[in-house]
Amino acid sequence: MTDDTQVTAAPRGDSKLETRALLFGVAGWILPGLGHALQKMWGRALACFLTVAVLVVIGAGMRGNLFTADGGDAFASLGYLADLGAGSFYLVAKSLETRGPDVSHADGDYGTRFLAVAGVLNLLAALHAYEAARGRKA
Amino acid sequence: MTLQLSHLQAMLLFALAISVAFGFLSRRPAMERVKYIVWSLFLFLLIGIGIGWAMYPLSR
Repeated sequence: MTDDTQVTAAPRGDSKLETRALLFGVAGWILPGLGHALQKMWGRALACFLTVAVLVVIGAGMRGNLFTADGGDAFASLGYLADLGAGSFYLVAKSLETRGPDVSHADGDYGTRFLAVAGVLNLLAALHAYEAARGRKA
Repeated sequence: MTLQLSHLQAMLLFALAISVAFGFLSRRPAMERVKYIVWSLFLFLLIGIGIGWAMYPLSR
């Protein structure tokens, strides 16, 4: 057996680091920017929070469609996953849309995209926070 | 709350928000971030307006 085929046990510190990184990622998903704030990356934390907030407020203001769990088809399910990416801001968007969505005009359709992009962007930021905590991103 | 934005205003706000987020996430020194944000914003607008004009003949 050569050295290449030997399996070595991961050091205990690695699993602790992994758990910590995962926590930062989840925190970043729940509240945009929190994953970076916990790592004292203040600029990134503020940028993530503000951009997701701006996209959600504009999307809800334009009466975009906020998908729910009982969407019905694959596109609605994907839309729901994208919207859920915004974490707590999903609930913010829901509370802002007091009159419900209106996609009969271009504004509402654009609003749907704003809401989905806010979610996907937040997922990207949470993934970045996770990778940064693992030391794989600067 | 209802917002009435023109297509151009919506595109500008979208491009600005995404450029800022990408700039902060992908670059570290402040000057590099600013350069990335400006360049990314410029490309968003150029490509967005370019696609708009490319589709113009189809709308008539």
